[in-house]
Amino acid sequence: MAPRRGTTRRRFLKSTGLALAGLGLPRAIGAATADLKLKKPIKIGCQTILSGPLGGYGEFMRKGATLAMEEINAQGGIGGSPIEISFRDEELKVDVGVKNARYFVEDWGADFLIGIDSSAVALAVGEIMPSLNRILIVTHGATEKYNEDLVFKRHVRQCFRVCVPVYQDGIASALVAKDLPVKRWATISPDYEYGHTSWRMFRAYLKRFKPDVEFVGESFAKFGTVDFSSHISKVMGLSPEGIFSTEWGGEAVTMVKQAKLFKVFEQTKAFMIGMGAAMDVLQGLGADYPDGVWASGRYYFGYPDSAENKRFNEAFRKRWDTYPSYPSETAYTAVQALKKAVEKARSVETEKVIEALEGLELDRPAGKCVIRKEDHQAVYAVPWGQIRHDPKFPMPTLTNLKVFTTDEYYRKPPFAPVEG
Amino acid sequence: MLFQGLVGLSEAMYLWLVAAGLSLIFGVMRVLNFAHGSLYMLGAYFAWVAFRVSGSFWVALLAGPLVVAAVGWAMEFGFLRRVYSAPEAFQLLLTFAFVLILDDAVKLVFGPVYQSPPTPAALSGAVLIGHSVLPTYHLFILGVGALVGLGLWVFLEKTSFGLVIRATAADREMARALGVRASRLFTWVFILGAWLAGLGGALSMPVRAISPGMGELIIIEAFVVVVLGGLGSLRGAFVGSLLIGLLHAYGLLFMPVFELALGYMAMALVLIVRPWGLFGIREG
Amino acid sequence: MRARLAAGAVLAVVVLLVPAIAGPFLRYLVLNMLLLALLALSFNLLFGMTGLLSFGQGAFYAGGAYSAALLLRAGVPLLWSILLGALAAAALAAVLGAFCVRHTRIYFSMLTLAFGMLVYAVVWKWTAVTGGDDGLIGIPRARIGLPGPLDFSLDSPARYYLFAAVLVLLSMAVLHRLSASPLGLALRAIRENAERAEFSGVPVRRTIYIAFVTAGLFAGLSGALLAPLEQTVSPSTAHWTKSAEPVMATLIGGPLSFLGPILGAVVYLGLKEIIVRFTEYWLLVFGLVLLAMVLVFRGGLVGAASRLRMPRRRT
Repeated sequence: MAPRRGTTRRRFLKSTGLALAGLGLPRAIGAATADLKLKKPIKIGCQTILSGPLGGYGEFMRKGATLAMEEINAQGGIGGSPIEISFRDEELKVDVGVKNARYFVEDWGADFLIGIDSSAVALAVGEIMPSLNRILIVTHGATEKYNEDLVFKRHVRQCFRVCVPVYQDGIASALVAKDLPVKRWATISPDYEYGHTSWRMFRAYLKRFKPDVEFVGESFAKFGTVDFSSHISKVMGLSPEGIFSTEWGGEAVTMVKQAKLFKVFEQTKAFMIGMGAAMDVLQGLGADYPDGVWASGRYYFGYPDSAENKRFNEAFRKRWDTYPSYPSETAYTAVQALKKAVEKARSVETEKVIEALEGLELDRPAGKCVIRKEDHQAVYAVPWGQIRHDPKFPMPTLTNLKVFTTDEYYRKPPFAPVEG
Repeated sequence: MLFQGLVGLSEAMYLWLVAAGLSLIFGVMRVLNFAHGSLYMLGAYFAWVAFRVSGSFWVALLAGPLVVAAVGWAMEFGFLRRVYSAPEAFQLLLTFAFVLILDDAVKLVFGPVYQSPPTPAALSGAVLIGHSVLPTYHLFILGVGALVGLGLWVFLEKTSFGLVIRATAADREMARALGVRASRLFTWVFILGAWLAGLGGALSMPVRAISPGMGELIIIEAFVVVVLGGLGSLRGAFVGSLLIGLLHAYGLLFMPVFELALGYMAMALVLIVRPWGLFGIREG
Repeated sequence: MRARLAAGAVLAVVVLLVPAIAGPFLRYLVLNMLLLALLALSFNLLFGMTGLLSFGQGAFYAGGAYSAALLLRAGVPLLWSILLGALAAAALAAVLGAFCVRHTRIYFSMLTLAFGMLVYAVVWKWTAVTGGDDGLIGIPRARIGLPGPLDFSLDSPARYYLFAAVLVLLSMAVLHRLSASPLGLALRAIRENAERAEFSGVPVRRTIYIAFVTAGLFAGLSGALLAPLEQTVSPSTAHWTKSAEPVMATLIGGPLSFLGPILGAVVYLGLKEIIVRFTEYWLLVFGLVLLAMVLVFRGGLVGAASRLRMPRRRT
């Protein structure tokens, strides 16, 4: 491990020595850096959903960001300045999200903003970032409008995203589906922009690979649905061979349980759930998760088989006594990305950090990733896999992982409109 | 086609249990209990705890609603009875305060992540109806809902306590003049209403994810049902639930674009044609 | 009367001085309080004055917000967009009011709830026009649109604050005049006893209808002022949880005085902002505060001393 620029030899030897001795100190990406005489502390405002039926996501996000903060501070902080993270509930509401962003920047003095689960909130907050003159790194909100419209077309340069967007659910899924023996697909998905876009993308891309495929039915469930029975019976009445779904969180759990009661998994050849590999869904369904269901997420703890991923998993489990879910990894990466960018820019000034973030390469738990200059979207591959119950783990896991290159499924500038 | 309706009816049963309690409470006490959905939520959580402790779904089904009934007693006795003489708006505000408190209390105790109890094997089966598969659990729910309906009808029509309830609902002054102790009656009615909501929650526990805030989702639907059916009318609550359930199920088939709006449209239409709801009593 | 005028003047001065003395976040918070206060006043026109609890003011709030947003995106100057937005909301109220005023009390409330949620459903699904659940973004804060040298740009948040604050204060003055006018008296008579009011010559239905449309107008104005503030509008503006805010604000401040809803809006938003800084369990704390308010402060903060004169429920 070569010493990083700005490190004194003594500190380099000490930190490497400690790491090698395995004294259990958190080993950050790179050795401790020298004091860059930046402001102290560096403040990061993080907003995420902390209440209601999807509140679990905020919890996992908070855990990930906090772990990053603790590791970095143990190493001396960012360029010698400790970091402080403040968390607020986004409530999945646009006006609350905007108020939180203003509070963080104008009242609390945040230098950077991260977080956000709701696509609508991501778009709305992204909108005001130029006037606040701060960087926003989105860690969950998945709408393609964020990187394609806001950043690429309208040049709102303050916006970045480290989580894979709807391409994972709409396009990578098609790449998996083309090899499945299924000709008739139907969907049960959430009734908002995200649910519709992902189904549209899936249809458009799958048709390209497999022109003889048919889309026999669709049922979109309103936000907050607790009973999918009518949706299931409607869709099953059309005799599909495969079901595609982008339901998430507690709703995904409810849907799968009820689909099981309706013997859907026995009557169909394939079932795909875009965010079915989120830790809370795996834990929530437990033994009720049928084997063979195709699932994915924004990160899967078991992929890749890299040193960094192993280290992250161990550190996370030691700190929080649970396996990491994908918001944990994306939040963790957002903080680490800021560290790397600020140290590269040797400044916390927004414009300089923007330049440092553009094209930044990261070695994150989810693998190697690059933050694209054109649309500020982090590009990394996440697998789709099939559910199986491995007695080695307390929850179901994925097997038969299918990993595609990012070239195969990330849309690229200039972003043609999606067909259908 | 008929199958879709059957599914819709079974969905309606949970709504019926919540709406029944809401309707009873309003009919007798003239209180619109915003927190009724939260009682449903507590029913689900308590039943889940009972299930974890005892390992038996039937014990959970028994114990959960009973604990909710106790919570209902505490709510009525400790708080609600102090605002009976206050304007309706304040009673609404009080019950709304309980919604907020209970939502966070549940989050504090159980954590913000939703819980998902395993479905008991005994009830995971299914029956074939024509070409379609109907889960046994849905049949079970239909049975329970019908039983509750029957039980309430018998209770109200054939028992003396039921008579007292009906009399008070119809004319409180007169009932009081005839010696009915309103305060005791109110407590018992509230307990019964809470028990019904808790039963609804307990029944939903094995087949739905439970989470803080699940009460809010069902209370608005319950309001729609109760108003559509006619405030204070138990028959109206029953018919209203079935109607909403069928509307939802068939709406998905024929007008899926209106899924969000169907219940409200139905209620608005009914009120325009029959201003007191389907079976409501003309007031004043 | 002079005391009231003085109080109003003091309020106006304080409000207008905020940008000069407060930081950007506090200024933003105060502006939100002003908008909620206007919404609550519109609500209280129906509730405190007429005795009708509307659970659907969000419909008109959203109507004003989306109309103004669409106009602004089409290039219409700011002042016109806002005024037309408010008028659009009033038009919506004129249509919906025709149905609502035929009912009373709980049925009225439930019907307003239903209409509010119907507007929500339409806004959510009509993606082509309203942007669906993503809402409308990129709403320009255009030039004000007054002739010649008065055509300011309101890009700076401080300027927009002053613009919005002036409109809110003017609306408050209008509403205050209204409450003291014959219309106001008629509404209060209806609240006390609708039958008797009818017999004394008050055209009850028509009067309530006028109040409903007026309430819709000012709720719409509040929403219209929101659009350029955040430069986004989203469906949550029409949801019943938004409609519940003026209800709570009014009940906290006291429905029987003109100042009540204003004070309530300040307390509601201020309290929430404070609570959130200390704990994430703000629902719990807020619920406990509400509980205390209901059990101890019956008339809201303003009416705490005086006895309630709300009509008894007919038992």
